[in-house]
Amino acid sequence: MSDLFAFAGTEKAGYAQPAPLLPNEEARACIPDSIRRSSPPNWPRASEPELVRHYTWLSTRNFGIDTGFYPLGSCTMKHNPRINEKIVQLPGMNDVHPLAPESHLQGLMAIFFEMQEMLAHCAGMDQVTLQPVAGAQGEFTAIRCIQEFHRSNGEAGRDKVIVPDSAHGTNPASAAMCGYQIIEIPSGDDGRLDLDAVRAVVGPDTAAMMITNPSTLGVFEPDIAEAAEIIHEVGGQMYYDGANFNAILGKTSPGLMGFDAVHYNLHKTFSQPHGGGGPGSGPIGVKSHLAKYLPKPVVVRSLDPEGLEGWRYSWEDPEESIGKVQQWHGNSAAVVRSWAFYRRYGRELEKMSEHAVLNANYLRYRIMNPSPEQAEKIPAMPIDGAPAEVVKHEFTLSLSPVKEATGVSGKDVAKRLLDYGYMSPTLYFPQIVPECLMFEPTETESKEVLDKFADDFLTILAEPPELVTSAPHTTLVSRVDEVWAARNLVLRHPLE
Amino acid sequence: MVDHLPNLGREQEMLEAMGLSSIDELFADIPKSIQREGPLDLPPPQTEEEIWADAQRLLGSNVAMNSRPNFLGAGLYQNYVPTMVPMLATRGEFLTAYTPYQPEVSQGMLQAMWEFQTMVSELVGLPISNVSMYDASTAAAEAITCAVRVHNRKASQPNVIYVTEWLPEHRLSVIENYILGSGIELRLLMTNPDGTVNLELAGAAEGCCAVYVEQPNPFGVIDEGLLELKSLIGEKTALIVGVNATSLGILEPPGSWGADLVVGEGQPFGIGPTGGGPIYGLFACTKPYLRQMPGRIVGQTVDEAGREAYTLTLSTREQHIRRHKATSNICSNETLIALMGAMHMALLGPGGIEKLALRNAAGCEATKRAVLEIEGIELLHPKAAHYNEFVVKLPQTAASALTFLDERGITGGLALDSISEGASPNWLLISATDQTKESDIAALTSGLSAWLRQWEWRIAHE
Repeated sequence: MSDLFAFAGTEKAGYAQPAPLLPNEEARACIPDSIRRSSPPNWPRASEPELVRHYTWLSTRNFGIDTGFYPLGSCTMKHNPRINEKIVQLPGMNDVHPLAPESHLQGLMAIFFEMQEMLAHCAGMDQVTLQPVAGAQGEFTAIRCIQEFHRSNGEAGRDKVIVPDSAHGTNPASAAMCGYQIIEIPSGDDGRLDLDAVRAVVGPDTAAMMITNPSTLGVFEPDIAEAAEIIHEVGGQMYYDGANFNAILGKTSPGLMGFDAVHYNLHKTFSQPHGGGGPGSGPIGVKSHLAKYLPKPVVVRSLDPEGLEGWRYSWEDPEESIGKVQQWHGNSAAVVRSWAFYRRYGRELEKMSEHAVLNANYLRYRIMNPSPEQAEKIPAMPIDGAPAEVVKHEFTLSLSPVKEATGVSGKDVAKRLLDYGYMSPTLYFPQIVPECLMFEPTETESKEVLDKFADDFLTILAEPPELVTSAPHTTLVSRVDEVWAARNLVLRHPLE
Repeated sequence: MVDHLPNLGREQEMLEAMGLSSIDELFADIPKSIQREGPLDLPPPQTEEEIWADAQRLLGSNVAMNSRPNFLGAGLYQNYVPTMVPMLATRGEFLTAYTPYQPEVSQGMLQAMWEFQTMVSELVGLPISNVSMYDASTAAAEAITCAVRVHNRKASQPNVIYVTEWLPEHRLSVIENYILGSGIELRLLMTNPDGTVNLELAGAAEGCCAVYVEQPNPFGVIDEGLLELKSLIGEKTALIVGVNATSLGILEPPGSWGADLVVGEGQPFGIGPTGGGPIYGLFACTKPYLRQMPGRIVGQTVDEAGREAYTLTLSTREQHIRRHKATSNICSNETLIALMGAMHMALLGPGGIEKLALRNAAGCEATKRAVLEIEGIELLHPKAAHYNEFVVKLPQTAASALTFLDERGITGGLALDSISEGASPNWLLISATDQTKESDIAALTSGLSAWLRQWEWRIAHE
C-alpha cells in the first residue's frame, strides 16, 4: 500500500514557490485576526518524487480503455485520440477566461459555432447549446426549456412526464428535479415501446415523453414516429436521450423520428474521455419552437472581412432564455476535444456508427453461436434481452437460464471477466431484463479482440460454477464488501 | 480517409461470418420513412496533422490570460498548475476509465478520490466530501436543495431559503433553475453599504431551511460578521458557505464557524481557467446531510481476504437506483479534474497552501494599493479586507476603461454590471492572484491613469 498521508517530509522538501509581492507578515496583516486560520489543513507532507510514484502506483491499480477491452453497455467506451489531449493543453484553450472580451475568444467561439451547427445537423435539430456539462444536465436543461414553452403557451398545468421503464435513471431524476410527476410505462413483452401503454397515459396533462432510440436494450424502436404523433396530438413534447446516438449517426436522426429536443453525450459519441467518472459534456439540440428558451448565451456569427477567416463571433442570449445551468459556457475543453474527434470523420461520421453496429452484431453473433465443441461444454446459454434480427450499437443478454442451471449469476460472470483482463459489461441494467449483462464493444475494437472476448465468455460459461461464483481471482483485491462500506462509512482518512 | 477503425476493410468478412451480405442489412430495422437520405452535409475527414494545424490556428487566435497583464477573475482565477499534475492525471488508466462500478479493477481512482475527500474535508473543516460537482454554482444549488430535503421533511420548516445579495448571475440563475422544481422560495439576505451581510436583518432567516453566503463575498470582501451568522439563524437552519478554495490557506475554515455545508470552485487547484470548463465544484457537509447529499462518495472497506479496499458507497441515494426519487440527477461528474486538484493539493501540502494563499493575498493587496494611488479612483468598500479581488468606482463606465486598456494589451478586469444586477456601470471588479507580477500592476496603473487623463482631456475640450 502507498498511503498518501504517511509521507513524513518536512516543509522544506515541499513544492517551492516564487516570493510573494509583499512580505508574508504584511500579507497576513491584511486578514482580520478573528478569521485568520489557526492551523493549516492536514494535507500530505510529500515531495514531487514521492507523489509521482504514488500516483503512478495508483494508476497501475486502475483499468481504462487503454488497459483493455471495455464493453460497458450504454457508456460507449471508445478509443480516446491522444491529439485531443494535446490540443486542449494549448494556451488558447487552457489559459482563457470565459468572461474575456469576445475578441480574445474568437478561435474558441469559432469551434463552438462549428459544433453547434454540426450537432444540430446530425440530429435534425435547429439550434444547439453547448452549456450543459453532462448528459443528465442536458436532460434537465431540455426539460426546463419544454417547461417554459408550456408555461408561455398558458399550459403550465401539464405536469406529467412519461418515461419507459427501460429508460436511464437520469431521465426520471432530471424531470423530477423540474417538478414533474413521472409516469413510468411498461415495455411490451418483446422489450419494445408499447404504443398502447403510451396511449393509455397521454392526456392534456402530458408535458413530454423522454425516450432513447435505440432503446437501452440496444434495439431500434420501429414505432417511434407513431409514438411521437401520439404525444404531439395531445400537445406534449418529445425528448430524445442521446446516450445511444453512436448507433444511428448519419443513418437516421431524432429530427426524422419526430423529436423536439435531444441531448448529446460528447463523452460517449464524440470521445471526450470519461476520466473515471467525468468530465462529460451534454449539449442539447432543439427544434425552432424551443430555441428561444435555451440557456444563455449561444454563439452566433456575422460576416466581417477583418474577422477570423471572414467571420466575427459573438455571444447572444436567446430571447426568453431559462438563464444559466452551468457557471460559464459549459465544458469548453470537452467541446474542443469532441470537435477534434468529429473533424477526423467529417461527412463520414456514419462510418463510425456502421462499425459500432457491425461490431455489436458480430460480438452478439459470436457469443450466441458457439462452436459445437464449445456448446458441448456449456450447461446453459444466456438468452437475448430483447428478440431482434439485428441489434444496434449494443445488446443485452439475460443470464437467467445460466443462473437456473448452475447458480452462476450475471454478477459472477461479470466478475470472472475481470480475471480474463476485461472490464465487465454493464450489470443489471436495464432493470426489466433479469440477470442482465449489457455489451457495447464500440467501433474501435478489432475483430480479433471481439473473437477472443466471445471465446473467453463462452469458456467462462463452461467453467466449474464455484470458480465463477468466487471470482475475481487475479485482481489486486478480491470481491469488495460493499455492505461493510455502507455500514461503517469510513469516508476519509482518519489521519491518526 | 478516416482512421481509428480497426475493422475498416474487413466489413465483408465479418458480415459473411454472420450470414449477412451488406452493412445496410444491419440498419434494415430503421423504417424507410425515417431513414436519412443522402450523406451528412459536413466537410471531408481530416488527418491528425490537419486537425492539429487547424486547432493551432483557431485556438492560437485566442488571447491567453498569461500572455498579457490580466486582472480578470470573478470566481475563475489565473493560476499555475505544476507540470506533474496534467502529466500524471492523463495517464490512460485514469483518463480512459469509466465511473468505478467494478471496484476490484478500479482501486487506483477510488483511493485517489478517497484521498481527495480527505483533503477537501481538511480544507473546509467538515467531515464529509463527495468526489466533485460540475462547478461552484451547481454545487451551491445542490447544497441548497440538499438542505431543504433535510429540513423541509414532513413540511416541518418553511420551504424558504435565503441567499446573499449581489450574487453574480452565473450563480443566482443556476440556483433559481435548480430550486424551481421543488417549489422553494428564495429570499435575499441584505448587505450593508460596506459590503458585509446585514446581521440585524439576518435573524429573519431563523427557522427557514437554509442560508447561503460566500466568503469572501462576490466583491472580494472578507466578511468577519459571518462568524456570527450561525448563532443568529439557529441550529435548525443550514448554513451553506461558498468559499474561494485557495483563501482557506489563511482564512478560518467555515466548518469551524458553524457551516453545515461548504461548496466552492476547486479550479485554482489542478486546472487552468480552461474557458470555464471542465472545472469542478467542491461539496462538503456534516453528518446530518450525508444521506441527502448529491453525487458519488467513496468509502473504505475490505475485500474477501480482509484487505483494505475502496468502493463507491451510499449509492441508494443515486439516480441509477432510486430513479425519480434520487437526491439528484447527477451521474457524470468531474472526477478527472478532481484528481488533478488532489495532486495539486498533495504537492502543496500544509505549508504550500498557506504560501499560495499569502501570495494571492499579497497580489491582491499590492494591486489594491497601487490602484488607489490613482486620483479619481476609489474603492467601493474602502474599509474592507479583500482576497483575490476588489471593486473600484470609476468616474466613467468600467466598459470604456476596459476597452481602452484592452487596446493597450491589458485585460483590466470585469465591469461588474455585466454579471450583477443593480451594479453601477462604473464599478470595475479587479482580480489579482499569486500570478500577478509587479510589471502587471505597473501596466494596469499607468493604463488606468492614461484612461483618466484622456477623459479629463475630452471633458475639457468637448
